[in-house]
Amino acid sequence: MARVHSTIFVLDFGMHSPDRRCGPFALAAALLCCSAYLSAAPRFQYHVLGEEPGSWPEILSSIGLLDGPTASAAVIVAPRGIDLPAAEWLERVSRGTILVVEGDSPLANTLGFKATGQPRTPVQSVEDLRAPQLRIVWEKSVDLPTFQVPRDAKVFARERYQRTPLLAGYRKGAGAVLWIATSPGAQGYERFPYIAQALADLGLEPPFHSARLWAFFDSAYRSRVDLDFFAARWRASGISALHVAAWHFWERDPQNDEYLKKLIDACHRHAILVYAWVEFPHVSEAFWNAYPQWREKTALLQDAQLDWRKLINLANPEAAAAASAGLRDLMTHFDWDGLNLAEMYFESLEGHDNPARFTPMNRDIRAEFNNSNGFDPMELFDIQSPKYWPGNTPGLMQFLDYRRELARRMQDRWIGEAEAIRKTKPHLDIALTHIDDRFDSSVRDKLGADTSRVLPLLKEHDFTFLIEDPATIWNLGPKRYPQIAARYAMETPAQEKLAIDINIVERYQDVYPTKQQTGTELFQLVHKAAASFPRVALYFENSIARTDQEWLPSAAAAVERAEQVNGKLVVHAKRGIGLPWQGPLLVDGVPWPISSGTVAWLPAGTHVIEAGTEAPRIRVLGINGEITSARIAADATEFAYYSSARALVMLDGTPGRLEIDGMETVPLMAGKVLILPRGRHLVRIGNVTMSSFTPSPSIQSGR
Amino acid sequence: MTRIILVALAALFALTAVAQPADPSYPLLEKAYEALRQSDYERAVSAFEQAVKLAPDRPSIRKDLAYTLIKIGENTRARDQFAEAMRLDPADEHVALEYAFLCYETKQEVTARRVFFKYKAVNSTAAEAFENIDRPLRDGIARWQQALAASPENFSGHEELARLAEQRDDIALAAIHYERAWRLRPTRRDLLLDLGRAWRQQERAEDAFSALLAVSRGAEPRIAEQARELLGSRYPYVYEFEKALELDPPNTGLRRELAFLQLQLQQNIQAEKQFATVLERDPDDLFVVAQLGLLKLARGDTRGAMPLLNRVLASDNEELADRVRKALEKPQTLRGRVEEPRQNISNEARELAAKSIEKGYLQDAIKYLNTAVENDPVDFASMLKLGWTYNQLQNDRDAVRWFKMASASPDSKTSKEATRAYRNLAPQFERLRTTVWAFPMFSTRWHDLFFYSQVKTEWRTSNGWFRPYVSLRFIGDTRGVTQAAPSLAPQFYSEQSAIPALGIATKTWHGASGWLEAGEAVRFRQSPGDPTRGKPDYRGGITYAKSFGESSLLAETNDDLVYVHRFNRDTLFYSQNRLGYKGSRAQVFWNFGVTTDFKREHWANYAEIGPGVRFRVGSLPFLFSVNALRGVHLDGTGAFHDLRIGLWYAFTR
Repeated sequence: MARVHSTIFVLDFGMHSPDRRCGPFALAAALLCCSAYLSAAPRFQYHVLGEEPGSWPEILSSIGLLDGPTASAAVIVAPRGIDLPAAEWLERVSRGTILVVEGDSPLANTLGFKATGQPRTPVQSVEDLRAPQLRIVWEKSVDLPTFQVPRDAKVFARERYQRTPLLAGYRKGAGAVLWIATSPGAQGYERFPYIAQALADLGLEPPFHSARLWAFFDSAYRSRVDLDFFAARWRASGISALHVAAWHFWERDPQNDEYLKKLIDACHRHAILVYAWVEFPHVSEAFWNAYPQWREKTALLQDAQLDWRKLINLANPEAAAAASAGLRDLMTHFDWDGLNLAEMYFESLEGHDNPARFTPMNRDIRAEFNNSNGFDPMELFDIQSPKYWPGNTPGLMQFLDYRRELARRMQDRWIGEAEAIRKTKPHLDIALTHIDDRFDSSVRDKLGADTSRVLPLLKEHDFTFLIEDPATIWNLGPKRYPQIAARYAMETPAQEKLAIDINIVERYQDVYPTKQQTGTELFQLVHKAAASFPRVALYFENSIARTDQEWLPSAAAAVERAEQVNGKLVVHAKRGIGLPWQGPLLVDGVPWPISSGTVAWLPAGTHVIEAGTEAPRIRVLGINGEITSARIAADATEFAYYSSARALVMLDGTPGRLEIDGMETVPLMAGKVLILPRGRHLVRIGNVTMSSFTPSPSIQSGR
Repeated sequence: MTRIILVALAALFALTAVAQPADPSYPLLEKAYEALRQSDYERAVSAFEQAVKLAPDRPSIRKDLAYTLIKIGENTRARDQFAEAMRLDPADEHVALEYAFLCYETKQEVTARRVFFKYKAVNSTAAEAFENIDRPLRDGIARWQQALAASPENFSGHEELARLAEQRDDIALAAIHYERAWRLRPTRRDLLLDLGRAWRQQERAEDAFSALLAVSRGAEPRIAEQARELLGSRYPYVYEFEKALELDPPNTGLRRELAFLQLQLQQNIQAEKQFATVLERDPDDLFVVAQLGLLKLARGDTRGAMPLLNRVLASDNEELADRVRKALEKPQTLRGRVEEPRQNISNEARELAAKSIEKGYLQDAIKYLNTAVENDPVDFASMLKLGWTYNQLQNDRDAVRWFKMASASPDSKTSKEATRAYRNLAPQFERLRTTVWAFPMFSTRWHDLFFYSQVKTEWRTSNGWFRPYVSLRFIGDTRGVTQAAPSLAPQFYSEQSAIPALGIATKTWHGASGWLEAGEAVRFRQSPGDPTRGKPDYRGGITYAKSFGESSLLAETNDDLVYVHRFNRDTLFYSQNRLGYKGSRAQVFWNFGVTTDFKREHWANYAEIGPGVRFRVGSLPFLFSVNALRGVHLDGTGAFHDLRIGLWYAFTR
């Protein structure tokens, strides 16, 4: 039975069906659906009452909700000062609205949230009961009355020491009430990180989905987990590709190799791509131990072991050759989908101010620079030398400029190496992770990272440029992403090749309310980034709080508009999205085959969605790639896609016949996932037969 | 393979369970293993957790729960389960190592290293794991030491070295480099917090307290909160503020708070000095400008005060300016008042009161709290605050009134606090005031237990200077025969008397008071040398008691000049003095005591010295005392040792 999105829509049920078999039974079913819809259908709009919405639009839009009229809003916010006739709103709540009330007001009192005569509490430290260990600290203390909440209300957050309630709610009928003791703050995330989670506890469901996120992965944190369990969880969190720390697997080791193969297979079975993430000039721990003669040097001439990275002098031809051979071995030994060359520049964020961390100072580089510039760069750090940098700005500038060019040469060279490997493995995607220097230009001198020199490489090479925002601006709010995007729009026309990396880490700055981004702050970061860039990467998979995972796919969905027009749903999205949908559907009037049964996957652009009647013989449950069009044909499912890596297509069966760009091809399968070539292709999948099944090479080889 | 192991585990457990049919956790474990077989980890965890509740002392369930949690990446929870399993079965080396590995994976590297160290001699895995943790720490420390030798002011070198050293349990090295790093970048308050933590581990309690106190004031809120948690709830003493400022002189938040504290303690000269320093560092702090100006004005330094006060008058802070105008006896600004809902006024007044209290403007706080109560007559919280504020201003008469009103609060916490405060303060304003004290004391010199006590009810007259009273004293001991010499008459050390009396006492003035009473000493056990049952007892004297010092230094004197008619009309002088240290629950001191009399009686002329201690135990209302005394008779007839163990109990109603 189809679940549909409005009363009018339900009354249209069957009208667009080419097969008018539905008579009175269909009408009855539609009416049944209508009543079910009133209480259960996922809705995607919110409304803030009054003239001063505060930060509520930022909070609610970060999880994918769109501003809409009161009548159709799933969530309605009554900020402090808004007085409403309680009886009418209680009725609305019982019919399915989630009503959010702020502070002490007649409406809040009627709903059972009352300020008591007890002493006011200065609130600065908050305990969220879903994560009691998480330190939630407000930048400024706020004196709040002590509230009493209804007996059946669930307290979500409270003052840490006095334990006075600050965020609480209860379900009533088909809807719910969420009460918040004070405004959520100007940005929306500086006081209560888990408003979205509280709304979820009260029945709100994610309005949209996406499955486009990249995530970095370090096996050191997941050495004993069930990889299939995790792959399913990553997929449900909207992750489409995992960038796996490859330095742990640089040397062949039966146990490690087995783990990696299992990881790749599990990911592929859940339609997740797997990239090898390398961090040159760090190669691997064993490489560092085996070749002490190739170790990079700091300006104190110590071996450059900086934090976890142990840097190798890749300007040395022998070292570079060994690293190149190792990379080729790594890439060919496993069924990777891509290669991410990350952070290929120099140390450190303290720049030349800290010689103990400043690189490169190996002999090769010093000799090369000396030959071209006439002095050894070590003199810049020798207090006895006339070239000592505090009194030698031109000399310092010469070396810093040389260093930036050196980084560019390295990147050019290693992208070339990656492309050479791609000649033998044509499905490989390539990404270059590079720190941003447009927002914080000081990183050019500190790290030798200069995007203006690297971005032109996009003309010569086919790769994704993944922009990493530097630690120095991690404390700035989510609005930095549109600004970063605007700066890159001026730098390169290859906008579709850009991606942004969000570092979910404990920040060293004074940040509030949490040291590491979580809840609303994370959702705002992801939402703004997804609206500004074609691709969003998260560093890293292990640092995403479990409680945030449910909302990530919705936060990452770049939906700009969704509304009911003449009983049909019109959605405009910048990139492909998933829409909660049950049953067959038509997209732009065409029977649509790409739906998991609960989520329909749509291409970017504006589309009209309505209920359909025709279910595909072979259902495409989801696709890891950009869908450009699709339809249910007489005896097949057809779709066109684009993917910079292989496209992974989840099916509910195995295809009997597969045509790619009109050519019949033997399907390459990983479980129920069909593996398709990178690029732009038209696919036609014929009926299911259980006989025509060819496992993927990795499965054949038992990897 | 894992599944096979799990299935085998499940089968093994099932067999075990068959042998123990009474196990209440069995059905839940069945469920858990069934869920594991289906890779339904969430359900397995839930069933294991329920089983743990039913059999909390079974390490095997906790281990299986932990292994399941590892499968779903819940390493912190798994670690905690292994910790508990380790506590339940300390002999299980395997569990200890699992715990250590998980500690390492969940950023508790120090604990991991310690556990591996413990087992490294007997377990090769532990030895290898220990080396894997320790070697990079060792190498890192050596590397950064080398870097610091070449570049001694290298901030990140000191910071890195401190962190590595702390992870390696080399706290002394860590403390040195945390301090060096913090001195290089004093704005990095987190390093001062780390330093305080390191000093605490080194048992440098006072230094640690100073560092943490400095961080708790004037650091960013998250760091300050962590420091406050480490400091505990006790409010610091003035000397602790001073010590923290020695460590962290630029900390204006800390200095400001000290200045207001000194102001409250009426240490105006010291407060003025601190305010002046704050102003040097933060010239825009108008509150401090005003406070400093008013202090200068109060001590007659008009020339120094006026530029400061004029700054305040010229500012746009009308409220502060009005306060200055009031002090200068100038007319205050008339400001129109917009009608506001009473609740809003009350809320605003409460907020202003809270700020005034925070900044030490107690008179203003009273004004705002009164406004709050005027606009919200059932604002018991403000009534309670009024009580405390008046109490701090030493106006206990008004404090009592507000405590009494607040005690009617429907909120039990407010009511309880107000009632307790009321009970403590109210007796001083009652017409009749009864004091009860008792002092049982055992003396090794006499091998006897003595008991002294008095119940006294005073009548507080309207003039206040003289207070008639009724008293009943009780003096006794267990043996009843202790006496210094057979010739001694009523002034036995050992008496067995109750003495009802009428008396009159003066009000205490600078620690001194006088008293006079007439009564009858009634023996309840007859003395062998004196068969009379009752004797008139007239006595009177002057008492002086004073404590000195405000910090942890203890200096006190109790001096009595007493005339006792029935001791052959003798006048005795007792002086008991103590010098030492005091904490919140205990005092350690040295006694200096002299007893002498006009008649030069042997028993009444001696001096005593020796150590003593007084302390409270738990929440008991008694004060215990132990004194080890060495005494000499002043008439040269000998010396004695005495260990006195006593218990003091008193209350007033």
